[in-house]
Amino acid sequence: MSALLEVRDLRTHFFTRAGVVRAVEGVSFSLARGEILGLVGESGSGKSVTGFSLIGLVDPPGRIVSGSIRFDGQELVGLAQGDMRKLRGKRIAMVFQDPAATLNPVLTIGQQMALAVRAHGGAGEAAARDLAARTLTRVGIPDAAARLDAYPHEFSGGMRQRVAIATALLHGPDLIIADEPTTALDVSIQAQILAEMQKLARETGTALVWISHDLATVSSLADRLLVMYAGRIVESGRVGEVLRDPRHHYTRGLLDSLPATALPGEKLNQIPGTTPSLLSLPPGCPFAPRCPRADAVCATDPPDVAMGDRLFRCHHPLGLAA
Amino acid sequence: MRPLSMPRYCIAMLGFIIQRLLQSAGVMLAMSALVFVGVYAIGNPIDVLISPDATQDIREDTIRRYGLDLPLWQQYFAFLGRLLSGDFGRSFVFDIPVLELVLARLPATLELALASVLIGAFIGIPLGIYAGYRPDAVSSRAIMAVSVLGFSVPTFWVGLLLILTFAVNLGWLPAGDRGPLVEVFGIGWSFLSLEGLSYLVLPALNLSLFKLAMMIRLARAGTREIMLTDTVKFARAAGLSEFTILRRHVLRLISIPLVTVFGLEFASTLAFAVVTETIFSWPGVGKLIIDSITSLDRPVMVAYLVLVAFFFVVINLVVDLSYALLDPRLRRGGRAA
Repeated sequence: MSALLEVRDLRTHFFTRAGVVRAVEGVSFSLARGEILGLVGESGSGKSVTGFSLIGLVDPPGRIVSGSIRFDGQELVGLAQGDMRKLRGKRIAMVFQDPAATLNPVLTIGQQMALAVRAHGGAGEAAARDLAARTLTRVGIPDAAARLDAYPHEFSGGMRQRVAIATALLHGPDLIIADEPTTALDVSIQAQILAEMQKLARETGTALVWISHDLATVSSLADRLLVMYAGRIVESGRVGEVLRDPRHHYTRGLLDSLPATALPGEKLNQIPGTTPSLLSLPPGCPFAPRCPRADAVCATDPPDVAMGDRLFRCHHPLGLAA
Repeated sequence: MRPLSMPRYCIAMLGFIIQRLLQSAGVMLAMSALVFVGVYAIGNPIDVLISPDATQDIREDTIRRYGLDLPLWQQYFAFLGRLLSGDFGRSFVFDIPVLELVLARLPATLELALASVLIGAFIGIPLGIYAGYRPDAVSSRAIMAVSVLGFSVPTFWVGLLLILTFAVNLGWLPAGDRGPLVEVFGIGWSFLSLEGLSYLVLPALNLSLFKLAMMIRLARAGTREIMLTDTVKFARAAGLSEFTILRRHVLRLISIPLVTVFGLEFASTLAFAVVTETIFSWPGVGKLIIDSITSLDRPVMVAYLVLVAFFFVVINLVVDLSYALLDPRLRRGGRAA
């Protein structure tokens, strides 16, 4: 079976007054139907911009400068806005971080969902409401038909995110891009939403790109993991393998800084330094200034090393006899 | 959090309305006192009312008849008492009840003010939304230039220019007056006939220029802000067209400041359309107040100013009530949003 999504050497740059910010710099990955892909990285690693690139919603002054995004055989880079709009919501949907900000506070849930239904095809108002109510029931909102006339502020945070997820599910998309959809929620609600999303994706065969800075969350959900750093993918592979046996020092650092790995009373581990400014990246490996293993070789660009379905970008990979 | 049930919502709303009505009564009382004292201080109407060659007897008789020999506070309370029974007094100059005089002129100003505010809103809001949606387009810059002109060019000058162009040179539209009136419920209106409408166009356009500029600015600022929010991004991600996003999402989100300004502009135009009414010889209340000031026709001035305060109070109340319609978060019966 061919992949649902094939991203090749994607580059999305922001042309700001201060210079060109290379937010996404040569990202490649593929995604099978129904697969859940975790995209992890710190703030500013380019993971959200990658997500927005996939759905064609990179805000100016940013734009995709080169590369290819093939979705179900169709090239999305350079696709006309009108054609892209027909895909959005219908075949590729997106869920955002903060449901309080994404839902319109002055329209009822029913009105907003009906707009999303009717953006694709001329369903009548009644049919649109009916579909909205059924989809809300699927994401676990009780008494959905009655709640259609409620406003977002009458819902709790978790319920709002369920509404946003239901909106994304309306047309049964092939791909949902989830940009940190549980970050703004309580921990207990997070777990519920995660389980719900996983179940829905499995049931409907929807592929998920789950963007998060939280390695723990993603690892409980995803099939495969992409680790991004400074606009590049530094490591990818099956979740279990990457977690058990990381190859890149940055992945190692992320794993070590999970609170669960520190002993009680001990200081939490952290990666020294901060994410580099994408305006002025030094040549060579962008992680080198923070890397415990960096040496002279790291001043040159590390190669992509593929081993089976593992991929990493490091001169001194961990766990391999050098 | 459950939404307020309908009866509880109505009670909350009723409480709000009663509270606002009491406040309004307070404002009106304060206004009436201010206006009365203010106008009292302007000048003595006796000099205007009584011819210089009248005998002392006639003078004193007239002063007593108008109650002008009483102390100020007694005059005020007498005035307030009459006001509450709907009697605004008689005009010194025309010797007819003031209310009759003002009400006869009011429809003219009402339709002029409403027409100008509506033109401002219906043209200004779409232009402003467009300018906010595409802030860097050449057309948007042109729209903003128009709004700068609307703010800075004086009304009387534009009015004269309009008359010169459309009435004198082109001869398309009449230069002044109200034209033929169509009577509805005993009140004459210009806008109900095509010919009457042609008389309304120029003065309404003249008055609307400032409001147009204001609406453009407000709509643009609001749209620019809303376009950057996740609400718009999420709507785009759901595949909504840009037009639907602007019409259904953005317009609703920017409507509160627009309605506020619409109300305030309507009230102030109702009260102070003097310049345009004078230029276009529009027989409205603006001209009446100017005439009454020059002739020191005290009852007309007082009644007019009290009426203006009343308009502001009523329109503000309507604006406040419409907030609750526009933003559901304000309907929660006094709880903070």
